[in-house]
Amino acid sequence: MTGARVRAAVLVCGLLAVAACGSARRGVPLTGHGEPPTAELQLGQRVFARYCHQCHPGGAGGLGPALNNKPLPGWLIKFQVRNGLGAMPAFPSRVLPGEELNAMVRYLKWLRARRP
Amino acid sequence: MTARRGARAAPLLALLLCSGCFRLLPSRGGGETRFEPPRRIEPADVALPAGYRIEPVAQGLTFPTSVAFDGEGGVYVTEAGYSYGEVVLEPKLLRVEPDGRTTLVASGRNPPWNGATFADGAFYIGGGHLAHGQILRVTRDGRVSVLVDSLPSLGDHHTNGPVLGPDGWLYWGQGTATNAGVVGPDNYDYGWLQRYPRFHDVPCADVTLAGRNFTTANPLTPEDDRATTGAFVPFGVATTAGQVIRGRPRCGGAVLRVRPTGGEPEVVAWGLRNPFALAFSPDGALYATENQYDVRGSRPVFGAGDLLWRVQPGVWYGWPDFYAGRALNQEWFDPPGGRPRPELLLARHPNAPPRPAALLGVHSASSGIDFSRGPAFGHAGQAFVAQFGDLAPTVGKVVSPVGFKVVRVDVASGVIHDFAVNRGSTNGPASRLGGGGLERPLGLRFDPTGAALYVVDFGVMTTVDGQPRPRPGTGVLWRISRAPGTAPGAAPEDTP
Repeated sequence: MTGARVRAAVLVCGLLAVAACGSARRGVPLTGHGEPPTAELQLGQRVFARYCHQCHPGGAGGLGPALNNKPLPGWLIKFQVRNGLGAMPAFPSRVLPGEELNAMVRYLKWLRARRP
Repeated sequence: MTARRGARAAPLLALLLCSGCFRLLPSRGGGETRFEPPRRIEPADVALPAGYRIEPVAQGLTFPTSVAFDGEGGVYVTEAGYSYGEVVLEPKLLRVEPDGRTTLVASGRNPPWNGATFADGAFYIGGGHLAHGQILRVTRDGRVSVLVDSLPSLGDHHTNGPVLGPDGWLYWGQGTATNAGVVGPDNYDYGWLQRYPRFHDVPCADVTLAGRNFTTANPLTPEDDRATTGAFVPFGVATTAGQVIRGRPRCGGAVLRVRPTGGEPEVVAWGLRNPFALAFSPDGALYATENQYDVRGSRPVFGAGDLLWRVQPGVWYGWPDFYAGRALNQEWFDPPGGRPRPELLLARHPNAPPRPAALLGVHSASSGIDFSRGPAFGHAGQAFVAQFGDLAPTVGKVVSPVGFKVVRVDVASGVIHDFAVNRGSTNGPASRLGGGGLERPLGLRFDPTGAALYVVDFGVMTTVDGQPRPRPGTGVLWRISRAPGTAPGAAPEDTP
């Protein structure tokens, strides 16, 4: 890797790290938010509760890292869910159908926007 | 994926690897902190949904575990008399006076007293670890008698507190001896294997083994030798394929019941690792919290969050071979560090395990449970669960503190909401965050009016150097109720 590429990679990582440094906490006591307003988001909330909450409680850190404070695009979240990463297992479509994954990602984005 | 998209993904994946790789990150459990007494108590450091308030009712308690009400306005707490970390004291039942002072009602010699309930003019207390587990009957004037004895409570998990069912029977959870069915060096570290080297798990019905054995260091001998141990047998005893282990009604990993007048206990359900607390919902259904597998011992299991079960009579719930209806012999549960996958211990399983009502945080130690029953508090029919909080790294690594709060669970959907949490940019106990809020919520129960939720906060327990270190005198009994002038049952509005 050339020096210019190293500097660019460091810059990108730095910018992303800054973007990811906010609090990941989103619970009702801290934010005052209510229930998700649409049926799709409510489906996503139930899917999140079944498959994600135990390692990322409320989208914050726990066994796994926090999700709420990372500016990941939806397609990359889906990629990681489908393929797994490190200690996180893969969730194939026979376990998590596409419709449920889409709803979960939309819910996660909605939750991410409920900042304290 | 296109090449352009792949190029865009590279730095994002790099960020994920930098900030989210489990193996690279250090353990950051809630107890992995230093504590300098005294414990501060500051209700304003606890965040609640709009319209609720929290206040301390009693302070300076030592290892409190549960709260009970006598129906005449009296509030009582149990002090365990034992804590992980091998601290042994006297278990107590205390009356909490209106000014917050406590008066001794009764004490015992077989801690821990894990929970109490009041029924038919007496308290019923579950406990025991230094000797076999018991259900005790304690009168208001402090006379103690044994209702049930000889429960298998000498191991990791104990006899837990009973509740009164709508059928008039007393129901309680009995924990297992081990993490995942096999006695190992982790049980020596917990302190009981050297006391009771022949103790092991006991099933509630006959089980047939697959014959899997585990060879480990032998901490019971001074020599540098090794021992081979199978499932449901003492340390150092191997098993064979097809071997049958006889079940007994005084078994571990079960919900049991007995009449308040005494008699032989009955098995309600089994295959539950440590069903710490039980509660009946307003529609009469029995629910249990279950503390799930740790990443420790001869058969470590990774990634198993605590569970909330709707308990059906006669059903086996999966321990030691399943988690939340999933068999353990798959990638999901592989322990880190290249340790072996947890292969199945039983050759045949009593039934296909059901799916839980809710999945709670891994290592959250989700414990006390009760249901709101009406508009006086709100959220009628929903469960409230006290989360003691992780004991990382002893039970396994976490990258951020888990638990240390009270959550609300919609048992119909499985959705979990924070309800009482410490303020701050991260989650954790007050001793870690530097505030005066919650430490380790363990028990909770609504008062007889249903208007106030009492939360039993065990107090400070750190895990520096990998060993639990509980601090006597730091326990608190909190009360959560609606703030004056707020509409009962109202839900906060969304703020888009």
